[in-house]
This record gives sequence, C-alpha cells and structure tokens, in this order.
Amino acid sequence: MMIGRRIFILQKRSFTSVRRFLCPYTSQAPNPNPSPAQGSASFRSAGSRSSILHFNVPYIAVNRSFFSSHAVADLPVGGIVDVPLAQTGEGIAECELLKWFVQEGDQIEEFQPICEVQSDKATIEITSRYKGKVAQILYVPGDIVKVGETLLKIVVEEAQVSTYVLENPTPTQEGLKNIKPCDSELTKNDICGVLSTPAVRNLAKQHGVDLNDVKGTGKDGRILKEDVLQYAFQKGSIKDPSASLTSASRRQFLGGEEDHPHPSGEVLGSYEDKTVPLRGFQRTMVKSMSMAAKVPHFHYVDEINCDALVELKSSFQNTNSDPDVKHTFLPTLIKSLSMALSKYPLMNSCFNEELLEVILKGSHNIGIAMATPSGLVVPNIKNVQSLSILEITKELSRLQLLALDNKLNPADICGGTLTLSNIGAIGGKFGSPLLNLPEVSIIAIGRIQKVPQFTDDGNIYPASIMTVNIGADHRVLDGATVARFCGEWKQFIEKPELLMLHMK
Amino acid sequence: MANPGKIGVPMMNLVRLKGVPILQQLHLEERLLRTSSHNWCIINDGTNQPTIVMGVSGKPAELLEIESVLCDQIPVMRRFTGGGTVLVDPGTIFVTFICNKDAVAGIQPYPQPIMSWSGALYNKVFQGIGDFHLRENDYVFGDRKFGGNAQSITKNRWIHHTSFLWDYEVRNMDYLKLPARVPEYRLARGHLEFICRMKDYLSRSEFINRTIEAAKTHFSLRSTDLEAIETTANTKFCPSTRLLTMQELEIAAKFASQSNVSLYQ
Repeated sequence: MMIGRRIFILQKRSFTSVRRFLCPYTSQAPNPNPSPAQGSASFRSAGSRSSILHFNVPYIAVNRSFFSSHAVADLPVGGIVDVPLAQTGEGIAECELLKWFVQEGDQIEEFQPICEVQSDKATIEITSRYKGKVAQILYVPGDIVKVGETLLKIVVEEAQVSTYVLENPTPTQEGLKNIKPCDSELTKNDICGVLSTPAVRNLAKQHGVDLNDVKGTGKDGRILKEDVLQYAFQKGSIKDPSASLTSASRRQFLGGEEDHPHPSGEVLGSYEDKTVPLRGFQRTMVKSMSMAAKVPHFHYVDEINCDALVELKSSFQNTNSDPDVKHTFLPTLIKSLSMALSKYPLMNSCFNEELLEVILKGSHNIGIAMATPSGLVVPNIKNVQSLSILEITKELSRLQLLALDNKLNPADICGGTLTLSNIGAIGGKFGSPLLNLPEVSIIAIGRIQKVPQFTDDGNIYPASIMTVNIGADHRVLDGATVARFCGEWKQFIEKPELLMLHMK
Repeated sequence: MANPGKIGVPMMNLVRLKGVPILQQLHLEERLLRTSSHNWCIINDGTNQPTIVMGVSGKPAELLEIESVLCDQIPVMRRFTGGGTVLVDPGTIFVTFICNKDAVAGIQPYPQPIMSWSGALYNKVFQGIGDFHLRENDYVFGDRKFGGNAQSITKNRWIHHTSFLWDYEVRNMDYLKLPARVPEYRLARGHLEFICRMKDYLSRSEFINRTIEAAKTHFSLRSTDLEAIETTANTKFCPSTRLLTMQELEIAAKFASQSNVSLYQ
C-alpha cells in the first residue's frame, strides 16, 4: 500500500505522549509543517508605550522581501519521517482508524503492515515504506483521520532516506515527486539509534561528541541539549556549558540583528571568508522558499484606518478584570479576518497543482508568525470561525508562551489555512511576503502609525493607519477577489460594530 | 503473485456453497484472504437463517432496533470488511472475490478501482436483463439497490464481497435503523422504496451461472470444495468476524435508550 512521505525538520521541542493534530494535506501538496525561517515578528500599537508582542529577532530581508516560514517537502536532517495517511482513492477524504499493528518503540520493516483503516466500504491495511522504529503514534482506534494527516512518526535510517522512491502510484494521481536527498551532511550521530533532535545532533557534532556515549535525561532516554553539553564539559571540550547553550543556538540559527553574520572585524576578528553551512531551520527555509518562489505571486497593498480598533482595544482593556488576559489588536484583526473569509472562502484554500483543484478549507486556522529563541514559527489558531475574540486572545497567549519556551506542539503548527505576519519594526514601507504553501494567501500587517489625513474639505486630522500587504497565489486568486476580500476585512476593522451584525 | 492458468489469465479457485451459515462463510473468507496465496471466488447460494451482519466498525445502538433484535433473537455479527449493515437470510446470494493484488491486470489495489472492476464484471452478468449499474458503491437496477458491497485490502491481496437481495422479507427490514450515512442517490427514500428483488429479473441458478461465466473472462476457474479447503486450513488463524453476545446487545440497548432520553431534556 502506498504511503505518501512527508519529512520535517525536528525542531527543539519535546516529544510528549500521543498527540492528535489535524494537517489538511493532500498527498501532493507540499508539507504544511512550518519550519521557522529567519525573521522577526514585532507588533507595536500606536500610542502605546509597551510593546505587546515584541520579539526582537529581526528579519533577514533580502531585497526588502521577507519570508513566509512554512517548510515544503522538507529534507530530513534527523531521520524522523512523518507517515501520512495517503490518498486511497477518488473522493476519499478521510478514514476511520481501526487498529494498530505496531506500538511506539517497535522496530518495523519496510512493507510491514502498521495499521488498518476503514474508508466507506473498505478496510485497508497501511504498510510502512520504511524500516525503522516507531517514534510516535498520533491516533487511536476510532479516530477519523483525514487523508494527508500524519498517522505516525518513524525514526528511519540514513540509507532509506537517500534512496527513497515511490513504487506504487495512487490511482488518481501521478504520485509524489521524488524528494532529492541531501544526506551528505548526515553523520553517524544522525543515524545512531538514540533518540534526539537534529538540533541536538548538530550540537554534538560541533563538539565532537558521539551521541552513543551520552546518557539521555529526556523522556524515553531522549538525549537533550543539556546532556550533550554536560558530557562535552566533562570531557573538557567546552569551558562553560551554559554559555555554549546560547552560542550554540546562535550558531545554528542565523538570527538576531546582533548576530547577523556579516563580515566584520569585530565579529570574525579577521577579513577572511567564512563558510556557514546551512542547518536546521535555515536549511529547511532554502527548500521551502524555493518552492514558494515557483508559485506566481501577486501582492495587493492597502491601508486600513485603525482608529476604531484602537478604541476597541482600550475598551477591552478598561473593562478587563482577568489579570491573565491582556488585550491586543491581533485577536480582533484575526476574528474580522475570519468573518471576511466566510464571504471569500477561496482565500482560505489549498491548491493541488497536479489535480488542478482547489480545496476550500472549512476551518479558519489562522497562522500567526512568532519569533522563538530558535527562529520564526507560525503556530495557528484553529477554527477561528467558531471562537470569540476573548477565546482567540487566550489561545494566542497560550501559543505565544509555548513559542517563547520552544514548546509548541506539532498540532499547533500544523493545519494552518492562512498566515498572518507582523512586520513591525524593521523598517521600509512594506515587504512582499512569500506564501506559506499550500496556502494560497498570506497577509503581512505593518505597524499602526499615526499619520495625517485630509477630510473632504481639506482639514488635517490624525489617523492610526496600518499598511497591509496580501500575497496571493495567482494561479488561484485574481486581483479582484483579493481586493474585494481586503475591502470586506477592512470594513470590519474600521467599523467593528459590523461584527455584531454577523454575531450568532 | 499471479498464477497463470490459461496463457496470461490467472487461476482462481471456485467454491460453490449453498445454505452455509454466514459466520462460517465469513470465517472462511477471512482465512483465505489472510493465509492463502491463491485467488478465490466463493458463491453461497443463500444462508441458513436470518442474521444481521454489521461492518467492521458497526455500532449496534446506531444501526439496529435492538429491542426487536433481542426479542426475536436474531444473531448479530460484526464482519472483518468495511461497509454497512445487512440482514441476510436464505434469500440472499453471496458472491466473493479474493485476489492477489496483481491478479487483475490494470487495476490497482484500492477501493474505487476494485469497485469499478466489479461493476464491469456484473455489467456482463446482467447484460440484457435489467438496467444494471454500479451506483456509488451499490449494484442497482435503475435506482433501486439489490446488491451491497464491502471490501478489505491487505498488503498483497484484497477481497470484494457482495450480498445480493435475490429475495427478502419485508418484516426483516424492521430490525435495521435508517443508517446515518446513506448514498446520495438514495435521496429520502425509505428502505422498501430504495431496494428491489433480483428474483424479479432472473432465477438464482441463472444468476450464478452468468456470474461464473463473467468471472471466466478474467480468470481460469477451477472448482474446489469446502472439505478440501478445510483440511489444509491453517489452524492457527483466528478470524476477527464474530457474533455479538447477548450482553453486548443489552448494553447497547441501554445506551441507545439513554441517548434518546437525553435528546428531550
């Protein structure tokens, strides 16, 4: 049985017990799993002293563009493979998981049956395309799994990854493209039998540490960064493990204005060239941005008067009695975005290039770009259409805390249908965001700035203006649709009382 | 693995049964699917007693009028293939194909291709007899269903089995609830407006003979009997098709009645 293959770069997040998550994904669409790219997310409110959502990790902007962060057909760096529920036939969108034949920790062979699902009239055995060890099972019997969602994760060995070729195409598609391996960088540590993330493996490599010698203190004996550094410290490879923790992060992820690796006498101590191998998120970004660049984008720019929004936020803050809740602009922007999406569902869709079909996503899972110590991630708020502004506020806060702690779950990062990105304090008028495939639109919002405006009779008044730039897939969306959608969204922001008109 | 019989045409063992209990038939099918490497066609001309057969994940509370089922002591079982619920009896004719995944040239081992292949095969069977179609996943004359299908697809093999309503008893329909998921073409029709009897079109023997002839266009058929299969049976194999116990049905009945109550609170 054919299994579609999807690989993502393991990020510095802890594996926990079985988690369920939704990943709208067709067998051919690129991986919506986000990988943090470089950039910064900064959103300051006009007239407010404190930055509400201010993460001072600036974008690396090339030609004034900035990147959307979702990885597409990621290359494995750690050998963990996502095994999705592959397309099993025309019109089959989901299956019921009936039973597992394996459990976490089991060693499995290529073509070994791993579970049985039911779709409509058929029970179907799903077999593994890989030899490896079951790392994580994501569903339990009785669950409904959408086609494309990850069923389980397998730790694979290096050799398989580099020689993977699909044998059985699906009946309705031409099959997944071959994913070219980039395995020259894989070392013994990458393919060792211990559980660890790619970041930890890289760190071990940097310090010349063999992971097999390190005792893991994480769950199931997982080797954590601290374990590697402790070992290296004891071996005498490094002076101070805690310092290395920070510098290691910086080396791995070219982020931070302060750490920008521009050739400078101060940073390098010389004027020689320095080779920086791209690893982890950076490496993933190369691939994902290359894929995104192939999509014909167009950009629509508009300005939105946020006077009413500013007033609304103040009103929320003034009547807020919950110390755990802090009101910002984003939740209202997100909710009004969802209201506009209800009228223009094409903006909230995924494009399947091979089948030439557009999947209008039922849920509004709005991704919000956030900076973490490891770079930019885009967790998403699920089902915004069914959430109140207060619920969105709380969920946003939850995701932000997890992001800062680098503890986002795959569930939080997967399944986004549209991305919202704050550009904030970098500078410039606006960027041209690249799509977060397989989404068809991305919205970049700038800082709200107080600017002079003219009335009809020529008087000047101050207004809080926010610039938005909507990047769109021109294979699916045309200018008129995006313009009308933006107009609709703008109306809800400029006249938030209209939200009440649609309140159920 | 294809077993070439005639040049280029795979071998298939044909087993003709009559009045065999459906549980025994399903156990046999599951065993052949999972432990045999041959292709099989099993035809059971009627089962011995009325029995309710649910699909692999069927829930009695949702699918059955359990009180009536318990009262009339109708056996209920859950089979190993997917699909819906049927009430089978001596008026039901069963036809099953169990094949290696490459047995039929050009069809891929997925639900839809197998379903289409079976539709084409039965098209031959009913040529000139009625307005036969494969409609969504059902066999129909016009827009009335007379044959229901279910499948199971394993690593190297698949089974496609059908229960044909050659005849049925109207009162038996009362044991089944209207399912939550119905094919679109059903529209809002009640059970009796939705199904039809094959006996209005052709006799049992004619149907079975025509089916065997149609199968011969794909396979080289070789007759086998049940005893021959059972003597070489893999005794370690444990089928998953099973009868539900009285206790399970009673618990389901309680659950069903509680659900009804909560709707009106």
